[in-house]
This record gives sequence, structure tokens and C-alpha cells, in this order.
Amino acid sequence: MKLRSLGYQIRQGFRNISRNKMFSVASVATMTASIFLFGALVAILMNVDSLRESLENRIGITVFFEKNTEEKRVEEIGKEIRKLNHVTSVTYTSAEEAWEQYKEEYFSDNPELAEGFRDNPLADSASYTVLVDRIENQDAVAEKITAISGVRKVNRSSGAAENLQTFNRFFAFGAAAVIAVLLIVTVVLISNTVNMGITVRREQIAISKLIGATDSFVRAPFIVEGLILGLIGSLLPLAVLYLLYSRIVISMLRQFGFLASMGNVLLSANYVFQFLLPCGVLIGMGVGLIGSVITVKRHLAV
Amino acid sequence: MIDLDHVSKQYENGQAAVDEISLHVDKGEFVFVVGDSGAGKSTLIRLLLKELEPTSGIITVNGKVLNTMKRRGIPRYRRKIGVVFQDFRLFPEMTVYENVAFAQHVVEERGSVIRKRVPETLKQVGLASKYRSLPGQLSGGEQQRVAIARAIVNRPDILLADEPTGNLDPHHSMEIMKLIEEVNSQGTTVLVVTHNRELVNQFQKRVILMNKGAIARDELEGGYIEA
Repeated sequence: MKLRSLGYQIRQGFRNISRNKMFSVASVATMTASIFLFGALVAILMNVDSLRESLENRIGITVFFEKNTEEKRVEEIGKEIRKLNHVTSVTYTSAEEAWEQYKEEYFSDNPELAEGFRDNPLADSASYTVLVDRIENQDAVAEKITAISGVRKVNRSSGAAENLQTFNRFFAFGAAAVIAVLLIVTVVLISNTVNMGITVRREQIAISKLIGATDSFVRAPFIVEGLILGLIGSLLPLAVLYLLYSRIVISMLRQFGFLASMGNVLLSANYVFQFLLPCGVLIGMGVGLIGSVITVKRHLAV
Repeated sequence: MIDLDHVSKQYENGQAAVDEISLHVDKGEFVFVVGDSGAGKSTLIRLLLKELEPTSGIITVNGKVLNTMKRRGIPRYRRKIGVVFQDFRLFPEMTVYENVAFAQHVVEERGSVIRKRVPETLKQVGLASKYRSLPGQLSGGEQQRVAIARAIVNRPDILLADEPTGNLDPHHSMEIMKLIEEVNSQGTTVLVVTHNRELVNQFQKRVILMNKGAIARDELEGGYIEA
């Protein structure tokens, strides 16, 4: 097909849609529902993942040393930990700092209570806080640190992040299954719409062929039809989702102030839609394309 | 221009629609193909359009052997052939202009050419003023004129007309035949399948009479006489 026919074919595609209103509306409606669900689920997944990442960055491994370990040895242990794979940061907290932090956390209301302690009760609590790149690497790193001589105890606190990760995995599987079913339904509906068009225009197709139309010329309007239905069916729900999402983020930040204090836990609408818009449109148009191509192939022995 | 060499077409039920036909049509010729229903006239047209494959024999059109023509070569071949049907086969939801322009879009002609050639062709068939009408708003004769305009707008080498006056009264039939004769006078080879005896006798062109799938008579400036 030549490029100069493109405009004509696109107009024919639009004509097909308007001649076939009922089926076109049904296809767009199903597509809208599918892409809306897809978008909502992806937005949730992205936010849960961001929350997990944020927790990962806060939750580290705490490494304590054997009693009376010399300062030099502590430094060496730090160096060894830094050399390990997946370790992103190692921060030293001295026993004094640990006590100061403890006092601030627990005795800030009654500082006189803390004065009752003559010596540092956390004298053996000097530690390294080790952060790893991904939560799933924490176990392996902790194991290696435990094996370093001079290390008394290694505390891991990755439970919350791990739970979130597990939740995200299950949620992603469930969401993928629901979306897959919906997309299949949409393909079938688009296929029906295009099929109706083909049945109605059998005569036109036959005459086109006798006049000398190529296969691609006959197919093009039906493909355009599928693509347009896909485009409308994806842009519509994405626009609604964008507005809804923006409002939800604002109202959540208002209601739960602590979320704002945690940094970028709730992703901005623009950030989410940078990914969601091209993805949603691609899926919509892809489903439209598949729906029309399989139907045209099945029904047009051209 | 058109050569059929011992061409037969047998349908799946064993019936021979065309039986061992050999004929030659020169460039620019006007030929009537006449005969009763079931004589094989329409099958002949469908063979020439490569809508059907012959069971045996060789068909050559414009120097191209249709038997060996590949599927993707068919559209290009058909673009050199204009077709007119008994029932017009216009698109009811398209205007007269759009119906004719459709044939130009099919051959992927430039927009500027379409805008020039479609009005010219409509003028040629005497429908310049009705370009915005829908086929349903036209008489049978006018609809057939639109069909002829669609068939000739791509300037074909050959015009195949299958019972072009079958649905028309004598007056409109004569008009249509005159129009087809005019197309022929401009150099297009014309093959008209008909069983309209009066018209055939009036025009005094080459007449091929078919009977039971075979050629019973082939006469220059002939008339329509039963086999």
C-alpha cells in the first residue's frame, strides 16, 4: 500500500466505526474497563514497590562486635563488610552514640532518669549499620558478616519489606491474571466489531478485488478501525485514571501526614503516568490490532 | 489482446461451463458474446478476470498468461480491465462521485489526479450534474452509467460488461450500448456478454454465439441468430 492512500484508509476506518456504532461502543467500553483496571492495578503496584524500596533504604543489618574487640579490629571488620557484594553503605555507631540515641528516644521526657546511669549501659553496643542494594540480598550478606571473626551478633530487620515484596508478588500475579482475562475479552469484542463490518461490506470487498485492490488495501480500513478503537479505549480510561489518581494522592497526603514525612512514598501522578500512558496506549492499540488482524485473516480470503 | 487456447472450465459437480474454447480478440475490437442462460458466457468473463481458474487450456491477456500468474500479480492485472455488471453493484452509501473515485483509490492514484479524472469521466457518461446523488436516487440507466464511469475511470485496456442492459428498458439499454461503443471508439477493447437480441442486431459488431459451453458461431458484423 502506498503512503498517499493512508489518509483515505484512515477516513475509511473512521467510517467503518460510525457505520458500526453499537459494536464500536461495546468494544470501546470493554477496552475502557480493561485498561482502567490495568492502570489502577499498575498504579497500586508501583506505589507498593516504591514503599518497599523506601523501606529497603531504611532497614539495615546491625552488626555487633565481640566484647573487648579493639578499635583497629572494628575498623578492619568495617572494611571487610564494605568489600562484600550488594553492600551499599556501612555506618559506624559508637557505644556513646548508641546511648545518646537511646536517651533521646526513651528519656527525652524525663532526662533525669537517664542520669541515674553512671556508666554507659550500652558499652558493648557499638555497631555497624549495613544497607544492601535489594532486600532479597540481606540474608546472604548477613550470613557472610556473621562468619567474620570478631562479630558477635547480626540483627536483620527486613520483615516488613519482605512482607511487602511477597504481597506485591501475589498482587502482581492476581492483577496479571485479571488483566489477561479482560484483554482476551476485549480482543474477542473487537474481533466481533470488525467481523460485523466485514459481513456488511462483503460486496464492497468483492468489488474492490475485481477492480484490482491489493490485499493490504482491502485490509487497511479494518486494521485502522481496530487501532482507533484501541486508541480511544485506552486514552479514555487513562485520562479518568489520571484525574482520579491525582485527587487520591492529594487527599491521602492530607489525611495521613506521616506519608509526606516519609519522602516520596506516594508517587506523583506525572511519575506514574510517564510509564502508564505509553504502556496503556500500546496495550490498547495492540489489542485493537490483534482483534482486527485475526478477524481479517479469518474472514477475508483476499 | 485476448487469447483463449482450448480453454475448458469444469465445476466441481462435473458440469462443463466452458468446453474447449479457442478464440482471439484483437486490440480495440468490440465483441458481443451471446447465448442462452447457462451457455458459459459469464464463466468466460470470470475466467478473463481470473476469478476462476480454467480446468485446462491457456488464457493470455495483454501478453500475460493468466494460468501462471501469481496471486500478488492479480490486482495489477485487473487494474487494466474495467468491469460492468448487470446489477450495477454500486456502493449504496457512497455518492456518485465517491463510487467512481473508489476505483481510483483502489489503484492508489494521486488525489490531484482523482479530483481531475472523476469529474471528467462523469461528464463523459453524462452525469456531471449528479455527482452528489446516491445510487438509490438514480434511475437504472443512470446507475449503469455510474458503473461504466467506475469501470473506465482507470483507463483500462479492456472493458468487460456482463449483461450491462439486463435490468434496463429498451431506451436506456440503447443509451448504455452507445456509451460502451463510445468507450470502444477511444481504443478500449470491449467484450459485452448479453442476450439482448435487438441490440446485438442493431450494432452489427463481431458476435460470438455460445451454446452449452462451446462456441457455436463467431462472425464479424454478425447478428444474434440461434445456434
